Amino acid sequence: MPQKNARRGATRQSVKATKHRWSKRSSFSLKHYLRQHQSTLTESFMRLLNYPLASVMTVMVIAIALTLPGSLYVLLKNVQSITNNWDKQSAITLYLFPQVDDTQALALSHRLSSRPDVASVDYISKEEGLRDFERWSGYTQLLSSLQGNPLPIVLKVIPKMVVSEQTLPALETLREQLAAQGEVQNAVLDAQWLERLANILSFGQRLAYALSILLIVAVLLIVGNTIRMAVESRRDEVLVMKLVGATDSYIRRPFLYMGLWFGILGGFFASLCILILSWWVSVPAEHLIELYGSHFKLQTFNADEIVLCLTISAFVGVSGAWIAVNRHIANIEL
Amino acid sequence: MEIEFQRVGKKYDSGQEALSQVSFHLRQGEMAFLTGHSGAGKSTLMKLMMMIERQTSGQILVDGVDLRTLSRRAIPYHRRRVGVVFQNHQLLFDRSVFHNVALPLQVSGTDPEQTAKRVRAALDKVGLLGKEKYNPMALSGGEQQRIGIARAVVNKPQLLLADEPTGNLDPKLSAEIMNLFQEFNNVGVTVLVASHDLALVARMRHRVLTLNQGRMVNDGGFA
Repeated sequence: MPQKNARRGATRQSVKATKHRWSKRSSFSLKHYLRQHQSTLTESFMRLLNYPLASVMTVMVIAIALTLPGSLYVLLKNVQSITNNWDKQSAITLYLFPQVDDTQALALSHRLSSRPDVASVDYISKEEGLRDFERWSGYTQLLSSLQGNPLPIVLKVIPKMVVSEQTLPALETLREQLAAQGEVQNAVLDAQWLERLANILSFGQRLAYALSILLIVAVLLIVGNTIRMAVESRRDEVLVMKLVGATDSYIRRPFLYMGLWFGILGGFFASLCILILSWWVSVPAEHLIELYGSHFKLQTFNADEIVLCLTISAFVGVSGAWIAVNRHIANIEL
Repeated sequence: MEIEFQRVGKKYDSGQEALSQVSFHLRQGEMAFLTGHSGAGKSTLMKLMMMIERQTSGQILVDGVDLRTLSRRAIPYHRRRVGVVFQNHQLLFDRSVFHNVALPLQVSGTDPEQTAKRVRAALDKVGLLGKEKYNPMALSGGEQQRIGIARAVVNKPQLLLADEPTGNLDPKLSAEIMNLFQEFNNVGVTVLVASHDLALVARMRHRVLTLNQGRMVNDGGFA
């Protein structure tokens, strides 16, 4: 019986307790809530100023860590824009079997030049090939000692497509189709330089990704460590706040804002470093490209990318603070 | 606030048993003292009421609600209904007396005008109205203890807990502090004061709970 009564009492009381809580919630005002956030934002900034040297060092470490992947990104962006502007004609060189004679070769040449995806076909006879070879190699004497002409007939097919990273697969298909012709012994797509460049670029991209991830993890750890020390130095305050009924989110808030400030300031100085760096290298870089006869304006961080950099660093700052605060606030008990 | 302990036990991971089979009932608006030698379990009992620690057996009912049913998220709201005073004050020396007392209100999101009004009322109650701008460090031990009391009552708690509030104060100051608790009790706040100052406790003529090695050995009579 008494147990039953106690339980009924408990239900009644817990409803009362809930109501009590709701009445507290109803006095909650958005304006006040925002004001509280705003004051925490400014207070956490003032706290950074209380320890200027430590704060500046943390911000600069974050800035340097973000400058590295950022400038690699700018470098890749420029290399890509240079290669995109190279509209090069490519050629597929067909080496015919030695036993193929001129009539058969000419017929093939006609057949190929009527294809819709072929712009033109250059016919290089055995004799022409030998003459070219003599001219380019300078081995005149050596060649004259050979019996007969060892060179095959060569057809140089110029496709209508311009070579670029996007058209490379299509060109490769064309090369395969041409290689499948009975007279053709070997077909070589003269775009390997492009493939190599694409490989180098994707290597660079992966390097940039890996470096970004590593350095972002480093930033997380740096912010986490700094926030951990901040929590430790405010241990008494956290303890008292817990005692007088502060929620975890209330206790977390100033530290999260501190992480946000570290992130934003780090991102700001990283952007500044990248702008200065790209300005510094722009003069020799543009000069170098002009030597290759093309016009080039070095691209740097644009406004969108600065905003992205700040967003990422702010996010990383808050995340680092979040991890550190959650780990350490739970440990602070009376 | 009404408190009921039913055969409450607290055993630490180390195997040490701080409380065992403790039962008592503190009625709404009652004032009582908790005595016992040091290490008898007075602080542990207070910590259980604050939900700083959880009991390992038995149940604690606060206004009929079993504290075990409260989730971690509900703990701060429970603590806002309880004011607590410690022997070692737990004041923050990086801010003024005013901001120390204002802390419970800031934490619960009270607006600044209301906060200022209530902080001054609480400071007035403990006789420190003129010193709100001081740093607590600049004040005497007795004054610091009164700041702690002002902070404990500023939120108008329904239960006031005090753990050795007169620990290192002289008899005259101790009596003043006790009278303050009496005044809060007079306006309906349930008060529980842990103290080993038996002479002082006897003078107050309230119910006395005595702990000995984690067991409740006396409940009711004066010490």
